[in-house]
Amino acid sequence: MKKCIIIGKTNVGKTAFFINFAEYLGIKTFELEKKFPDGIEEYAKLSSRAAFAALVDEKYHKTKNIQSIVVTVPIGKGKKKIQLIDTAGLTDDIHPEIDVRKAISQTLSIIRESELILHILDASAAEKKELPSAFGMVDYQVAQFAQLKRGYVILANKIDLPDSSYGLKKIKQEFSGNLIIPISALNKTGFKEVKTFVIHNL
Amino acid sequence: MNENSNNYVNNDDNVIELLINGKITPVEAIIFFREIERHKNSVVKKANDEEQLEDIMMELDELIGLDKVKQLVKELQAFVSIQKKRQEENLLTEPQVLHMIFKGNPGTGKTTVARILGKMFKAMKILQKGHTVEVERADLVGEYIGHTAQKTREQIKRAIGGILFIDEAYSLARGGEKDFGKEAIDTLVKAMEDYKENLVVILAGYKDEMEWFLQANPGLRSRFPIRMEFNDYTIEELMQIAKKMVEKRQYQFSLDAILKFEKLLINNKNGPHYDKMGNARMVRNMIEKAIRRQAVRLVNQKKITRDDLLYIKSEDIAEVDEI
Repeated sequence: MKKCIIIGKTNVGKTAFFINFAEYLGIKTFELEKKFPDGIEEYAKLSSRAAFAALVDEKYHKTKNIQSIVVTVPIGKGKKKIQLIDTAGLTDDIHPEIDVRKAISQTLSIIRESELILHILDASAAEKKELPSAFGMVDYQVAQFAQLKRGYVILANKIDLPDSSYGLKKIKQEFSGNLIIPISALNKTGFKEVKTFVIHNL
Repeated sequence: MNENSNNYVNNDDNVIELLINGKITPVEAIIFFREIERHKNSVVKKANDEEQLEDIMMELDELIGLDKVKQLVKELQAFVSIQKKRQEENLLTEPQVLHMIFKGNPGTGKTTVARILGKMFKAMKILQKGHTVEVERADLVGEYIGHTAQKTREQIKRAIGGILFIDEAYSLARGGEKDFGKEAIDTLVKAMEDYKENLVVILAGYKDEMEWFLQANPGLRSRFPIRMEFNDYTIEELMQIAKKMVEKRQYQFSLDAILKFEKLLINNKNGPHYDKMGNARMVRNMIEKAIRRQAVRLVNQKKITRDDLLYIKSEDIAEVDEI
C-alpha cells in the first residue's frame, strides 16, 4: 500500500485537511491508527465530526503523533487503497519541548518512506512572518528534498481567509517549479484537483 | 551547522538523535537527509551497473571457445563506453550503429552471445530492456499482400528496447523478387531507422548463405557494420562443453563414458551432415539422451546407490538420430 503523507508547519491545517479530505474520498467512520514517537500504537473509531472536534484545534502543535487512515481511490475501472498519513507540525527552529522535537523527528522519518507528499502552506499567513504557520526555511528545504520524489505537491491552504490571494501569489513566486494547488481545508475547495493529483501519481 | 555535527552525521539515526536532543533544527535535519539520500542513490546506482556489467562479462568469459567473438564483444564494450565518456565531455562521437551479422553453423553459440549482448547493452544503458526476441522467416513473412509488413512490425514492436535476433535471415531473400521476404527486409530497414536509439537487429545464419544474402541486398551491408564469425567448435571444446553441461545437471561421466562420447563426436564430425547437425546443440541432445537412457537402465534396478544416480556410463551414451 502506498503512503501519502501530509506535512507542513504547525497550524497550517494539516489535520483539518486530513479529516476533510478523507471524508471527501468517502470515509464515514474514521478508523484511525495512531503512532506515537515512543512506539506506542493506538486505534480509534470515530465519526468524521467527532474526529474533527477531537483532533483539530487552534493551538500550536496539537498533533504530536502520526495518525493514519486507509482510503480508497478509484483507479481506472478499479480501486486502490492508500494510506493517508497526518503528521506533527514542523518548525524552523529548535523547539524547547522535547515532545515536539520527538514528534518532528518522527514526521521527518516518515517523509522518507512516503511515495506521495502533500505539503501544506498557510497562504493567509504569508505576510505575518511572526506566526508559526507562516512558511519559512523548513518549507523551502522540504520542497527541495521532496523534488527527489515523484509525487510532490504544495497545497496553499486557507484561501477562504482574507490576505490569502497575496499569499498565494507569494507562494507561486517562492516555490515556482512545483505543482501548487490552492485549497481550503475547511470548506473543501480544491479537493477535486488534489484527488486527481493523487490518482495520477499512484 | 557546526563542525561537530557534520562529522557525526552520516546516517539517519544520528540525524534523528540530534534532532530529538535539540542539537540541530528541523531545517538542518532535512538538509542532512537530502544529502544522505542523494549520496545513497548515486552510490547504489553506480555500483549496481558496474557489478552487472562485470557479471555479464564473466558470463561471456565462461563460454567455451569463441575467442574471436569474445575479443570483438570486448572491443565493442570498450568502444561504446568510451563514446559515452566522450559525449559527457562534449567531444565529437561516432554514431553508434550496433546492428550485427552473425555468421556460423547452428549450435555455435550465436543465440547465447546475442542474449549476453542484450544484457550488456542494458547494463551500459544503450538499450532499455535488453531482452532478446528470436524470430525466423515464418514470424516475419505473411501470406498475402500487406500481411508481411504488419507481421514484421509486430515482431519489431516486441523487440523495441532489446535485440531482434533473426535466425536464418538469408531465407528472407530466398524467393526472388516477388517473394514477400523482400517486404520484410524493407520494413525492417525502415524500423531500424525509426527506432535507432533503442533497437539492435542481429541477422544470423550460415556463413555462405549470409554472404550471398548480403550480396543480393547490397544496401544492407552498411547498415550492419558489425560482423561476427562463429567457428565450429573443436572436438576438445565440445568435450569441455559436454562436461560443463553434465556438471550443471549434477551428473558425472564415468571414464569410459568420456571416451565413448569423444569417439561419437569424432565420427560425427567426419559424417556428411556435420554442418547441419549443430555443434553444441548436438552435444546437448546427446547428453539429454544419455540422461534418459541412464534413467531407463536404473529404474528397474533393485538397489540404487547415490553413485548410480550420479554417474553416466558408456552404455548410456548413444548417437542422436536427429536434432
